[in-house]
Amino acid sequence: MSERHRLRSLFSLVLLNGLIPIRTQPLYLVNLLASPLSFLFFIDVISKGTLISYGITGGLILTMLSAGTGLQTDLTHYRHDLKFQDVVVASPVEAPVYVAGMALSELVYSLPGIAVFVALFIANGLATPEAALVVAGVLVLVWGFATALAFTLATYFEDVRETFMFSPLISLLLTVLPPVYYPLAYLPAWAQLVARFSPTTYAANLVQGVAIHGQSISPAAAALDWGVLGAVTAALFLVAAFKARWKEP
Amino acid sequence: MTLAIEADHLGKVYPHSASGVAALSDVSLAVPTGGVYGLIGRNGAGKTTFIRIAATQLTPTSGTARVLGLDVQGDERAIRARIACVPQESRPLYFLRTEEVVYLYLKMRGLPSADARRRTKEALDELSLTEHRTRLVSRLSGGTRRRVLCAMVLASDADVMFLDEPTTGLDPLARREVWQAIRRASREHRTILLTTHYLDEAEALSGRLALVERGRVVLEGSPADLRARIRHPYRVTIRGAIPRSELDGFGDVSEIEGGFLVFAQEEAARELARRALERGAKLSMGPVSLEDIFLEVVGRAIDDDNGAEEKALEESA
Repeated sequence: MSERHRLRSLFSLVLLNGLIPIRTQPLYLVNLLASPLSFLFFIDVISKGTLISYGITGGLILTMLSAGTGLQTDLTHYRHDLKFQDVVVASPVEAPVYVAGMALSELVYSLPGIAVFVALFIANGLATPEAALVVAGVLVLVWGFATALAFTLATYFEDVRETFMFSPLISLLLTVLPPVYYPLAYLPAWAQLVARFSPTTYAANLVQGVAIHGQSISPAAAALDWGVLGAVTAALFLVAAFKARWKEP
Repeated sequence: MTLAIEADHLGKVYPHSASGVAALSDVSLAVPTGGVYGLIGRNGAGKTTFIRIAATQLTPTSGTARVLGLDVQGDERAIRARIACVPQESRPLYFLRTEEVVYLYLKMRGLPSADARRRTKEALDELSLTEHRTRLVSRLSGGTRRRVLCAMVLASDADVMFLDEPTTGLDPLARREVWQAIRRASREHRTILLTTHYLDEAEALSGRLALVERGRVVLEGSPADLRARIRHPYRVTIRGAIPRSELDGFGDVSEIEGGFLVFAQEEAARELARRALERGAKLSMGPVSLEDIFLEVVGRAIDDDNGAEEKALEESA
């Protein structure tokens, strides 16, 4: 398959799973905005506005994470209920092109959420050039590892209902327990240790460090955060490449 | 000559099969390039398992399979560039319009827009779907959705097409339209591997057939070959004038509403027909149908659904 063919496949998948469903049901666009905005609302009310910056940076991370993990429901539904994955497998479309197309289509749903949180990010004075670069890099990695995780899981689920069970669990492990919406220091020592096992802890450290604390994060700490986040993303891509079941065993 | 599909002692036991029953066992087949090849068998016989292995969707447990001379375990990418498949129980994405299902599938396969648009229009016309062109799939009947999937694959540029029960749920007229489209594709030197449990469909379309039962190929060849290989290739229906006792020597006799059905060899069938006409009995005579062949070889009708254990195996995988 030539690069031109791959691009055609990619854009067809973005149309098919992103733009066209939104034309049919525009409320899809609100779906991925609801949870991060709800968190932001609670945090703002409860902290009397003192933690609004954490709510905004957390909202950005959660929106991108949801764009990635949300893929597991679509992919499982298409694979089991519509047999769409079988149609695609028996075609020139390669697995990475399928995953990339579907992941980009999920990102389309996240655009309103990203737009709202970027606007809030700028309006609250968090958007220095350095912060913008760091946030963009972190969000790409978060979206990447969430997509790889979602694709791998979707090829193992036997029923779409299993994704309903896993989604809150993933949300708990990646966004509630890790300090996405609050400073790591707020957690008790044991919870800080547990949070260190989640890649979103490192994502939040980087974003909060550069956007909220200015230069308070040391280069060594930043390097560690980037290293762990990058390694987790690479590891999950490798797992997806070698363990996801594109062809049934 | 390169074969379109070639299986050599192919076997499949699903990983979670508690009983260890093979869904496919020692299957060897040679599907020639061009034309329609029918796989017939009861539900759960192993047809879908075979198609899924050949379409590179499923890994075999033993044996080898090649598509267009390429190994299904190692040359998947090259095979996939040249095949298309309508899986059993598949449904088009319900939020798309009918024409979008076909068009986007063709674009996904890498066709340029103008080519995809032209092929989409032709396929929708061919399968009488033009009136549904802009309707959402979710608003179409089950049979029409199935036709949309057939249009999608038959419009493609694939050299080998796998159609797994493509006409299930279609009314007789719609089935005939799908048959026409399949015949058109086969005239364009495409190879179509068709599974069906409609024996009239298999007989009407297939140049060659394989009869699959409990994961094994029990009979293979052209419809004429299959008839030649069974004991009694002719069927004679007689109503009135001749008692059962006079029929037994001609072949296998069974009682039907108002008379008897006799399966016999050609000479015996002619002799029986001559006698029946002399005695003024009502008579019909002809070569056996595929259904008769199936019944004789398998010992059960094709819609006898006791293949449940293999079906369960396929579904659990």
